[in-house]
Amino acid sequence: MPKLSVVAALVVSLALTLVASGCGGGGAGSTTVTLNRSVGGSGPAKRGGELTVLSVEDVTSLDPGYWYYTYDYQALAGPTQRQLYGWKPSDTTPSPDLAASMPQTSPDGKTVTIKIKPDIRYSPPLQTRTVKSADVKYALERTFMTSVHNAYSPFYYNAIVGSAAFRAHKATSISGLQTPDDTTLVIKLSHPVGVISNGQALALPGTIPVPQDYASKYDEHDPSTYGMHQVFTGPYMIANDGKGTITGYKTNRIISLVRNPSWDPKTDYRPAYLDKITLLGGNDIDVASRRILSGKSFASGDFAAPPVNILRSALSTRRDQLAIVPSQGNRFITLNTTVKPFDNVDVRRAAAAVIDRNTLRLTRGGPTLGPIATHFLPPEISGFAQAGGLKGTLAFMKNPNGDLALARSYMRKAGYPSGRYSGPPLLMVGDDQRPASTTAQAVRSQLEKLGFKFEYRQLSRTTTFSTTCGDPKAKVAVCPNGGWGKDFFDPQSLLDPVFNGEGLGVGSPDWSQVNDPELNADLDIAAAETDPVKRARDYAEIDRTVTSRAYVIPWLWDNQINSVSDNVRGVVNKFTVSWDLSYMSLK
Amino acid sequence: MTGYVIRRLLWTVVLLFVVSLITFVIFYLLPSSDPAVLRAGRNPSPEVVAQIRVQLGLDRPWTVQFAHYLGRLVLHFDLGHSYHNDASVKSEIFERLPATISLALGALVVWLTAGIAIGVISAMRPGSLFDRLAMGGALVAISAPVYWLGLVALYLFSDDFGVLHVFPGAGSYVPLTHDPVRWFASLIMPWCVLASTYAAIYARLLRATLIETLSQDYIRTARAKGLRPRRVVLRHGLRGAITPVVTAAGVDLGVVLGGAILTESVFNIPGIGRLAVDAINDADLPLIQGTVLVGALFIVLANLVVDVLYAFLDPRVRYS
Repeated sequence: MPKLSVVAALVVSLALTLVASGCGGGGAGSTTVTLNRSVGGSGPAKRGGELTVLSVEDVTSLDPGYWYYTYDYQALAGPTQRQLYGWKPSDTTPSPDLAASMPQTSPDGKTVTIKIKPDIRYSPPLQTRTVKSADVKYALERTFMTSVHNAYSPFYYNAIVGSAAFRAHKATSISGLQTPDDTTLVIKLSHPVGVISNGQALALPGTIPVPQDYASKYDEHDPSTYGMHQVFTGPYMIANDGKGTITGYKTNRIISLVRNPSWDPKTDYRPAYLDKITLLGGNDIDVASRRILSGKSFASGDFAAPPVNILRSALSTRRDQLAIVPSQGNRFITLNTTVKPFDNVDVRRAAAAVIDRNTLRLTRGGPTLGPIATHFLPPEISGFAQAGGLKGTLAFMKNPNGDLALARSYMRKAGYPSGRYSGPPLLMVGDDQRPASTTAQAVRSQLEKLGFKFEYRQLSRTTTFSTTCGDPKAKVAVCPNGGWGKDFFDPQSLLDPVFNGEGLGVGSPDWSQVNDPELNADLDIAAAETDPVKRARDYAEIDRTVTSRAYVIPWLWDNQINSVSDNVRGVVNKFTVSWDLSYMSLK
Repeated sequence: MTGYVIRRLLWTVVLLFVVSLITFVIFYLLPSSDPAVLRAGRNPSPEVVAQIRVQLGLDRPWTVQFAHYLGRLVLHFDLGHSYHNDASVKSEIFERLPATISLALGALVVWLTAGIAIGVISAMRPGSLFDRLAMGGALVAISAPVYWLGLVALYLFSDDFGVLHVFPGAGSYVPLTHDPVRWFASLIMPWCVLASTYAAIYARLLRATLIETLSQDYIRTARAKGLRPRRVVLRHGLRGAITPVVTAAGVDLGVVLGGAILTESVFNIPGIGRLAVDAINDADLPLIQGTVLVGALFIVLANLVVDVLYAFLDPRVRYS
């Protein structure tokens, strides 16, 4: 499809409306939030110009083998590199990018064959070289190297035959990655893996090609220094000296993207209108939001929404500069199943019943921030509708304003005749920064209605993640600021990390410490399913199970609110839920 | 004097050692983030976390880590590498020092100029309309949080979203060596915002000490000799009253050189303060150590300079 018509189609057709249900009593009413994935009008996009993206933080790394965060994808993976499969802005299934077609899976599901386009070249200093299947093989091997510290390969690529031996340094390459010729990659699996067969896990940056003879000297360092010397395949590249050293990057300050002279638009679906993209880090979110909305040629980077006060004003006066999109993530309260009384399912259900999710949503800015969650899987993820859609199915999740009488009935069922908890104080750890700290305070006061007493600590997000809620030994009973986002549009990437006890350890998002062998087995079976319909059904069933057991209390399916200056035409990519820099243009 | 300075410098080394030790102990004893887990990313496997822990040297006792750190620092002036991105801490700090020094020295000039001028005029005419307005304004400046003041300044004067479009706004800082004119323009608002509180404090401090000094016998004698009032105040009164201001300036300059965190954050100036905040958020101990040591060094050196200056300002001060 011609690139201009892709954008035109996006502009015209991608506005959609979602009714964020405020069903139930208490006068919550219903609120209509108009979602839109593009701003800035229709018609042919202008080529050229410079866009400045303002972010609060920096990318996590320059190494494609490490990238695992949304801003890494938005700032670097999307504009500067090409994966085997990529994400067109409006799609929820990956499209061939380096690959010439979708993966071909053998009938037993254990052999996946991928053909690669023959004419894609690297940026300087390797501008005369084309990408070969061996480069993708080496890229996948890098994800298992200790010097790269990739976090997702143990979950999505561990079924590749020979990967365990390679990781343990018992083999010099992965035997299950074969390259019969320069344009063919064959992946041998020990068992079927749905997210490899459907291409989703091959649309991660781990498949960005890395030429081994060029990169290996950098990979000998621990951590690898390849990121500072990488070669690019996308429409843009980080400014460099042409000899293999990046010059356009200063930690937490600036990433300067310029056009990649080796990129051939005929091989790519991305239009790449802009000539230059500058990403500035270290901004104060309040100042950055005002600069974007009132200035020229700015776009938002890594923050999910402007601060509440600026957002309120912008919604009434600059709505056409905002793109409100579902984040395909959720926010939830975790109840530690290894700490009494939350080892009792009825106590957990009582806690879920008493939570006033409307109030919690108000602490983040109200209905614009997304629909109230009634189960775990968020909208736009397969299995969402089968798991209950927007309304949900469970009685204790029915009333978004909380149901104290129902909660007390669950407490009585759990052995508390008064309907109130009567044990010792419980440890609760919440964030110390607004708006999360406000949410945590609200959760605390709502749970206290059931007699819970708390030893309440406020800590930084990083401390919460790594040494309290994220550490099984810390035995934190309640963590009010849980949340998780997808790795891709497959429900495995949402449910498996949070509920599969096989991965339990420090830093795991399984803050409820759920480790149920039966549930683990169900998750493993669903992960191996290659039929998309059955797969969605299996994960929906798992969603119903975990929600009914109230391991966590989902309360919000987030929206992300991206902003641009009034002279910018913005297009949000569904995958990153942020601006797709390869589709942005100036008016 | 030379012996005194050498003794103070030796004590500086001891002090920096103690500061460094305390930073290490605090990092390990108080609730903090686990750098290995943070580095491992989303949903890390225990194997990846363990590998990173070994790579960062976090698998060893903190005493061993501290000994290694000191060894590298003393023998090679090596402040280590960031846990977060493996960048050299020394390079990171040296890259950011010019911005912080630019901000601190410029603000010092502004606050001393404004503070001394207002303090002297108020002391010469206590109770006058100017004095009342100036001291009232000083109270407001002292009470206003720097962060808020920075936002207000940007909303009023920044050239991108300000009402008046006068000065370059946040993120406009460029190094002096790149473009002196843009460097100067980009720092006008940060200098004024950072200096406002200090200027107000100094004005009040100088006013109080100068009024007291002007009631001394030697000032009366000077007036009785027929010296002009301006000469009495500036030549005789100010010299006696300025000592507390110099003391405060030394300490304050040291603190600001250690990083004016809020000003750097609001105006997005890539200085030591912002580096320190990022380091704390990332549980990046080598970078925390580096920024703390730089801050402590500046405070100690600034105090030393002030003490030496005393000898020139006040004839009664002698170092032996």
